[in-house]
Amino acid sequence: MNQSALAEASRTVESSSETVLSVEDFTLSFSESAKTNLIEGVSFHVERGKTLCIVGESGCGKSVTSLALMGLLASPPARIRRGTAMFGGKDLFALSEREKADLRGNDIAMIFQEPMTSLNPAFTVGHQIAEGIMRHRHMSKAEARAETLKMLQMVRIPAPESRLDAYPHQLSGGMRQRVMIAMALANRPKLLIADEPTTALDVTIQAQILKLIRQIQEETGTAMILITHDLGVVAEVADHVAVMYAGHIVEQGPVDEIFNDPQHPYTIGLFGSIPTLGRRQGKLATIKGAVPPLELMPKGCRFSPRCPFADQRCRDEVPPSPQLGPDHTAACWYAPLEQKLGARQ
Amino acid sequence: MSETVQHTTPIIEGRNLAKRFGGKKGLFHSSPTVYAVNDVSIAVWPGETFAIVGESGCGKSTLARLLLRLIEPSDGDVLYQGKDITKLSASDMRSLRSEMQIIFQDPFASLNPRMTVGSIIAEPIRLHGLAKGKAVDDRVAELLRIVGLRPEYADRYPHEFSGGQRQRIGVARALAGQPKLIIGDEPVSALDVSIQAQVINLLEDLKEQFGLTLIIVAHDLAVIRHMSDRVAVMYLGEVVELSPVDPLYEKPLHPYTQTLLDAIPVPVPGHREKRSLARGDVPSPTNPPPGCRFHTRCPFALQKCREVHPPLEDVGGGRFVACHLWREIQEQDHPSAPLDGTSPKLAERLEIYRSYQSAKEKNSPVG
Repeated sequence: MNQSALAEASRTVESSSETVLSVEDFTLSFSESAKTNLIEGVSFHVERGKTLCIVGESGCGKSVTSLALMGLLASPPARIRRGTAMFGGKDLFALSEREKADLRGNDIAMIFQEPMTSLNPAFTVGHQIAEGIMRHRHMSKAEARAETLKMLQMVRIPAPESRLDAYPHQLSGGMRQRVMIAMALANRPKLLIADEPTTALDVTIQAQILKLIRQIQEETGTAMILITHDLGVVAEVADHVAVMYAGHIVEQGPVDEIFNDPQHPYTIGLFGSIPTLGRRQGKLATIKGAVPPLELMPKGCRFSPRCPFADQRCRDEVPPSPQLGPDHTAACWYAPLEQKLGARQ
Repeated sequence: MSETVQHTTPIIEGRNLAKRFGGKKGLFHSSPTVYAVNDVSIAVWPGETFAIVGESGCGKSTLARLLLRLIEPSDGDVLYQGKDITKLSASDMRSLRSEMQIIFQDPFASLNPRMTVGSIIAEPIRLHGLAKGKAVDDRVAELLRIVGLRPEYADRYPHEFSGGQRQRIGVARALAGQPKLIIGDEPVSALDVSIQAQVINLLEDLKEQFGLTLIIVAHDLAVIRHMSDRVAVMYLGEVVELSPVDPLYEKPLHPYTQTLLDAIPVPVPGHREKRSLARGDVPSPTNPPPGCRFHTRCPFALQKCREVHPPLEDVGGGRFVACHLWREIQEQDHPSAPLDGTSPKLAERLEIYRSYQSAKEKNSPVG
């Protein structure tokens, strides 16, 4: 083995050891008899200190995926039909309830969209953060309280000493989301799953929270899966992006690739649908129609009923996901469009 | 657009409007006064799209409802086509209502689940006596077609529709009274991006087709840039800046407008960390700060800002700003070039996308 091959090999080892979570062929349905799976063949991985953004519209399966990873889906009805989610040498989908409970809030933590409903109104925020620390790190009350104070400082809550004994209703939306982040990070998780963490917040507060998430990630090296529908947020925080549509990942790649070289017609249509802050460029492009109900989902590409390029093959056969750039794949028969199709006269 | 029509009468005008909620004192309990809207004067010209933007609690929805007289102002007057409607009786007001309609944010909550879509849309037609008997059904069918839905849908119930379709039903109901003015209170913010674009395009088409005036209340600055002619920026119940849309985005004058524009995540990777964030949270509208209401979060605030309330000042070019320091701030270098994130490859593929889509539409024109 020559020098460069050796270097290459060691780099692969190095990069693979950095992978925190690796999901392969994740497939899920909500009924035993369903012919069509809600989520089909989803694969992605997240690396230490990096952020994967899963982007898609309502009902695409992005939140269900995160709940499945957390082991928070009731089964039945949810049923994982295939696939693995390797995390620290264990398959998350094959853990017992007890093992899951030990991981949750410890090695894997989650932040939800609505900071009001995900905090318990009957307990002080200090109590709620300390609870997880005591449960997983076996600390005394006093130690946990000191640790809690540190966490509140880390999420830049002003006057943290006085907030320890505040109830959730006494805090603003942005402050509550900071408390949620403090709670999620209290046990130094290896993986943080954030489901639309800033959607319920005003833009000026959203900007503060996004900046905070980035800073904390740099400080702690936590890997993150951020679920969002907002392409602006994606550009802001993502290293890697997976675009989901109707339970499939239709395209994934590094953030620059996705934004500068989008390949899947759904991704292209999505970008065309968002108004920009620049001067108006005529009408918005649209994606016609809506996501079909699961029973009516085509056998082939699930985007085909709304896709301007779809033909019979698209409806019948699931498209392959060719590599179209560095680490960049898109599940479309016609990508790249300009080579396979060109403009229509 | 606004320059050419300014010598006509505004279609709707608010003069020194104020709305206070609460402030009741009981024996055991008193509720604090919420200063939701404070001394706001705006005029909307016929045919324009006027946007009211701000964060939650800034009073934008309250202002919209005051203009429609859905709630009564604590102070000030509302003029519709030059006529004071503040003191109009309920029955006189009702006959005016057909001319001014509202579309609500939540298409799931604003349609009566026990009524068919047909009867929801027919209600304003009957109420205002615009048609009778069979003509009502024809009108309902026509309205459904106008908003891109099938006329057969008239017999169905709201729960059978998706969010985007429900919002179209809401638009059809608003159009049923043959309005001159439509206020959209966050009309697209509950919708998915792809559906949002459909509804935005629909509203624009209808505006053109029926010569409507639109007032859009929204928090999404990109949607506002795309749709509006003029924008009023509100903060804690006051208009802090009022301007035609392009100069507002290209050279915002009020520090709050700058903050708001800076805070939006731009869909361009690598544009991170280039912003001046406003500090802290919006103060409570029950206890607005003295002087300039933005001074607690403003990076430029001086002693004067804490004490003296800045008036909304005419600065020329149809622009108004309420800031003591806007001239000084403008002299400083402010990096506000809102980006258009479209990469060349995306632009090329969008072109192909559009060409195929319009070809497909010609073959099968379905809504």
